Amino acid sequence: MANVVFCNPSHRNLNCLFKTQSKLPVLLYNLRQLCYLCGRQILNHFKTNTMNKLMPVISVLLLFAFGSCQKSNTTEESFGETAFQISHLIDNEELTTDALIYTNAAGNRYMVTEIQWFITNVKLIAEDGTEYLVKNKDDESVFYVDTDIPESMTINTGQQFPAGEYAGVKFTFGFNKAENQSHRFVNPPESYMFWPTYLGGGYHYMKLNGKWINQQGKTEPFNFHLGIGQEYYDENKTNEVLYNFGRSDSYEHCPGYQPPSVLPPVMGFIHNYFTVELNHPFTIKQDQTALLELLMHIEQWFKAKRIYDHDVWGGAIMQQQDAMEIGIQNGPMVFELRNGK
Amino acid sequence: MSQTYKFVPGIFLGFLLFLVACSDKTEIIDPPPAYTPTPYELEIPYAFPTKLNIPEDNPLTVEGVELGRYLFYDGRLSGRTHPDSLMSCSSCHIQENNFEPGVDHPVFEGGFVHGLSGQQTHHVVLPLVNLVWNSSGYGWNGSFYNNNENPNQRQIEDIVTLSVIAPDEMHGDTNRVKALFQSLDGYPELFYKAFGSDQITFKNMARAIAQFVRTLVSADAKIDRYLRGEEQLTQSELNGFILFTTEEGADCFHCHGGFGNPLFTTHLFYNNGKDTIFNDPLDRFAVTGDPMHKGAYKAPTLRNISLSGPYMHDGRFATLDEVIDFYSHEVKWSDQVDPLMHHVLRGGVQLTPSEKADVKAFIATLHDEKFLNNPAYGRPEKFPDQD
Repeated sequence: MANVVFCNPSHRNLNCLFKTQSKLPVLLYNLRQLCYLCGRQILNHFKTNTMNKLMPVISVLLLFAFGSCQKSNTTEESFGETAFQISHLIDNEELTTDALIYTNAAGNRYMVTEIQWFITNVKLIAEDGTEYLVKNKDDESVFYVDTDIPESMTINTGQQFPAGEYAGVKFTFGFNKAENQSHRFVNPPESYMFWPTYLGGGYHYMKLNGKWINQQGKTEPFNFHLGIGQEYYDENKTNEVLYNFGRSDSYEHCPGYQPPSVLPPVMGFIHNYFTVELNHPFTIKQDQTALLELLMHIEQWFKAKRIYDHDVWGGAIMQQQDAMEIGIQNGPMVFELRNGK
Repeated sequence: MSQTYKFVPGIFLGFLLFLVACSDKTEIIDPPPAYTPTPYELEIPYAFPTKLNIPEDNPLTVEGVELGRYLFYDGRLSGRTHPDSLMSCSSCHIQENNFEPGVDHPVFEGGFVHGLSGQQTHHVVLPLVNLVWNSSGYGWNGSFYNNNENPNQRQIEDIVTLSVIAPDEMHGDTNRVKALFQSLDGYPELFYKAFGSDQITFKNMARAIAQFVRTLVSADAKIDRYLRGEEQLTQSELNGFILFTTEEGADCFHCHGGFGNPLFTTHLFYNNGKDTIFNDPLDRFAVTGDPMHKGAYKAPTLRNISLSGPYMHDGRFATLDEVIDFYSHEVKWSDQVDPLMHHVLRGGVQLTPSEKADVKAFIATLHDEKFLNNPAYGRPEKFPDQD
């Protein structure tokens, strides 16, 4: 009896009347007490006739209250949801696709046509350090984002997470080695992201396609594609490997570049995935959805840590590990977490 | 007496049997067979998508597919019976030519087709291969797509209807076609089995043909057997495969698939740098209204592509060699050229003669003889009204 809370004017919510894990007889006793006490209070305000009419309604309401109390008593934790809205920004403005209005840190004027990428192993980090994996409908923590597919820009799985304070979010950009397996997606659009077997297999972590104005003043396409990198056998330097296919030590291959007529063999692969940790506190409230905004600051791919110059790297980098390396060094600073609206 | 009564049930049964036998002979009582269509189980080949583009109101049934096959091949689909006026889907979509006319067609010179009115089609024919896995829009510009606001331009069923009506195709009248087939022995019964009514509607005709088209699956080319680990490619084919799937090689895979996308197309739309001026009223821009989509067309599947000439939406290239030369040296820059054409300022991927040969050898591994000769996809020996 000592841990039972009775009708108290300080309790604003009827659900709080019973806070304990009471046994049923105790609860029944309390209900009787409650009915008695409440009934007396109501009696003071209403005439007997009115009370007679209201009594069945009140009884039903009280029974509901009793029922809900039982529920909360059997579940110790309360839960809520999260929803991520994904946005792509350049220079803190929402991306306008196919608009040649941006300039990167290297001074390249550029535009972006589309961005397609994978975010995996998304984890909510509670204040106590506990990590909660965000899963899709297939029970996997894999999400495909595509600027051409508006519905892919929201991650809202309906999954329940403990209500409380969270310190931030972390995720893998692309796929870790174990998870980057060919044919894990057979359906479009994910299957269209496959990374050729010869280049390491699995999937593109990202396709960022656009154009820039090159040194000749021409608008040239670029495919900033990230995925597994390769080590190539260098025929000219025994026991050494090349990290950039068809490229000598010089970076001046764009104007007049001719690819070699013989494909050097691939000696090994480099998994370029990386983890992003975003420390941004947020709260998940019971039965509510915590709205979060995950931002990709596109210009940061080209400057966060190292400057990326399209005039140096040209249109395609899937076979140029040194170019992808700049991307993966800059990558962890590309993302930002904010409270959603 | 009791002895006599013993025979009564036997006599009664005998009489009943007699009646039944009589009714069979006289065909007086012949209740229609129950409408129990058999679901058609479409096998998903190795690494193929599991999601199929089949409208909810037209599931595949064995009976529907069988009927569709008859209609696909029956020249009376034009609504006419005179030998000069017969035309069906199979007039242009010929199985042994990858369901295309073929460049050596006796009537459609160079593979350019025209309808019964004599009018040539606006674009060349696309192949009917693995279309059940196309969810991105049918046709060179994808104007038939699932969530189109126009409910008459969504599915293969709608394309069938258009094909029967269009002057550059069968130039027919759906009511006349429907009435003609209603009058042909055998067809009403097949419609009953497929759709539960022997009153033929054109909608059900289109549904049956669409069902048949959705069963046309190519998944047993040499490349499929290679991907399944059943057969090795030659060195030249392997070189070609590497070139096909590398950016520094022939760079085909972003649009035309590979190991991870055995459809060998994304079914998406790209401006691949053929022109610098775009004035085709039926390009992708006509569907999306996005000026960056001017001059963009569907990347067709490369399965059996050696039979699919003439190439490109307007059939400008007669041979595969011309196509490979184009992607190697003749790609043209424009504002609209797709970003994936990142070799554009060099005029293309610059393949050497030996690399071209390797790429061509690899593309030949997409040739699927089983598909081209599958009797289930072929012309029926006879039509339902023929003895």
